[in-house]
Amino acid sequence: MGNTSSLLLREDEIAQIQEKTGFTPNQIERLYSRFTSLDRGNCGTLSREDLLRIPELAINPLGDRIVHAFFQEGTGDSINFLQFMQVLAHFRPIKKNKDLKLNSREQKLKFAFKMYDLDSDGKISRDELLAILQMMVGSNISEEQLTSIAERTIFEADQDGDQMISFAEFCNALERTDVEQKMSIRFLN
Amino acid sequence: MALFGTLLSISGSLLLTPLLLIVLVILFLASIGKSVGVRRLYVKTLLALFEYGRQHIEIANKQKRLSDDSGFNSEDEGDNKRIRSTSETSEESQQRGRPKGHHRNGSIKNGVSLIQREDLILAPDPCHNKSDHNHRDSSAPRTSNIRSHSVGAPTRNAANSAKGASEKGDNSEQEDEIDSLALDKDHRKLSFETLKQEFELSDCLTYIKAGVEAIIEDEVTQCFEAEELRSWNLLTRTNRHYEFISWRLTVIWMLGFIVRYLFLLPLRVTICFVGFLWMAISTSLISLVPSRRVRRVLNQHAMLITFRLYARSFSAVIDVHNPQFMPRSNGICVANHTTPVDIVMLATNSCFSLIGQRHNGFLGLLQRALARASSHIWFERSEVKDREVVTKRLQQHVSDPENPPILIFPEGTCINNTSVMQFKKGSFEVGSVIYPVAIKYDPKFGDAFWNSSKYSMMQYLYMMMTSWAIVCDVWYLPPMTQEPDENAVDFASRVKSVIATQGGLVDLMWDGQLKRMQAKKEWKERQQEEFSKRLKVE
Repeated sequence: MGNTSSLLLREDEIAQIQEKTGFTPNQIERLYSRFTSLDRGNCGTLSREDLLRIPELAINPLGDRIVHAFFQEGTGDSINFLQFMQVLAHFRPIKKNKDLKLNSREQKLKFAFKMYDLDSDGKISRDELLAILQMMVGSNISEEQLTSIAERTIFEADQDGDQMISFAEFCNALERTDVEQKMSIRFLN
Repeated sequence: MALFGTLLSISGSLLLTPLLLIVLVILFLASIGKSVGVRRLYVKTLLALFEYGRQHIEIANKQKRLSDDSGFNSEDEGDNKRIRSTSETSEESQQRGRPKGHHRNGSIKNGVSLIQREDLILAPDPCHNKSDHNHRDSSAPRTSNIRSHSVGAPTRNAANSAKGASEKGDNSEQEDEIDSLALDKDHRKLSFETLKQEFELSDCLTYIKAGVEAIIEDEVTQCFEAEELRSWNLLTRTNRHYEFISWRLTVIWMLGFIVRYLFLLPLRVTICFVGFLWMAISTSLISLVPSRRVRRVLNQHAMLITFRLYARSFSAVIDVHNPQFMPRSNGICVANHTTPVDIVMLATNSCFSLIGQRHNGFLGLLQRALARASSHIWFERSEVKDREVVTKRLQQHVSDPENPPILIFPEGTCINNTSVMQFKKGSFEVGSVIYPVAIKYDPKFGDAFWNSSKYSMMQYLYMMMTSWAIVCDVWYLPPMTQEPDENAVDFASRVKSVIATQGGLVDLMWDGQLKRMQAKKEWKERQQEEFSKRLKVE
């Protein structure tokens, strides 16, 4: 088994990640030590259980969807550090005059869209929206009421009349939302 | 060959005598409870050494950055902060022994934070959800509830206030009014209640961001690992990078290695062994004494000597503050838990009864030895689940004024000494006086935290005895009693916040058992309930 996790990243690995994600070397090192501390089995990759072991994530109503976003690109049941960083890169703040790697407004919106789009077909259907609502409120609101909320939301956002929200319609609906602030995490160093 | 043998025996006996003398002196000092001050001098020298080392690392880092500056021209917060962060430690080393100021409770203070959390931070009880980094306490949701509106998320206001009216239907006018009041982004907007709002696609963004922030840095998982040091303390185990910095530091490190492993370690092991022997012999002898009163007095003195010996075997330097509040009569003494060695730190000054789960192995031996001479409460694991039995035995112990105060660690597990986690309410239901004690270790000299999932007891002791020293501050706090209208949970919280404030630790609401168990489903359900309260349904 050649997949040993070393405590250090090599210089070229750091440079590669910096190139792809835009994080500074210091941030990359800090995030790597976080990655290794989450990696209980010391196998160099994270599984879904590793992430859900974080209590604050486990009690988040959308916790499962967030974890799913890390495991999306057909990577199966484990992600390596680069894949981990590529997801986190979506949350880097947008800085003017800087190359936007993965954290443009559109990329952030795409990430949010993927939260809703359960079957990844590029459209949010009423059932998908209903499922998300059920995740958020649990059993506190009846299904009929949630269905009507879902229908209303789709009605307001749908522009081409197909009863589903496409990515363009989604972006349109969130035009007035400060996506840059809501989907950016403030890194200190 | 024979010559070599005689040389060896001569040198052995030459070295042995002074070593034996040292051990005897230490034993004598332990028995009378006085100190010559060698350990404090040692600690002072170490501090000077660390300061020198830190400056050196800083210089070396600067040179390194200058040499390969071309690769890193980032304008954002960037690598320059790293150098600045190490320069903060000079103030730190001056403040050794004092709590690092009043931490904003709930902020992550373990080492240097990577992110700043501004929006939602979830907690097991949603009324403790922090919605804004300036507004930490739970009064915000309650004040809004008084006005019979449900709790609103600040993010909605921020978005709406900035962007003006939205097409939300009938409530738009009223919302506009409120939104125009809440124009700026700081925490005042929280005190404006919001009406139940209709669901929007952007509602989930707050939770998504909170989730990803938790993945990057969360309050809980870092409590179960050793604290990160700001500057290297010349122990290999704390050097994350294993990189070569300079020749001088390497030489110092090697000298330190030799001193610690070849001189200090054998000395400490000897003293520990003597301490253990003393404990075994004295407790057996004391258990033979028929009169309970005499036994108690003898036990007190014997225990003091035992724990002083143990303290010296770690080179412990204990700074006691407010000794006037030290529990003398019986009662319950409550402290934050970092390691089993906490008991040693506290018991060098006063005699306690202990309570805990019955262990096997080395700890079990100690427990049995202690139980012979005095009344301690050791539980079988199966019995621990039966809380009534625990409470009854506690009450029995506390009601007898002859018994020494009982020492309890309500967290139930070892935490890494940067935070205090939820106190279990069991010991606060007994109804006796509580004597809070705060213990804070200085991690520069040796990390006292016992990571029981990573190290066994023996490994931990070995690491303790090969560290520089164990330096801690012990604050005795004024005794507290339960208010008439206060339930046990609130009382426990109150005591916990007093301890956290004194020790400069972060006060967390989370349960320490999360070290081993998963988060409870009910906590997620409560968050769902919280969100559903804010959702307008037709």
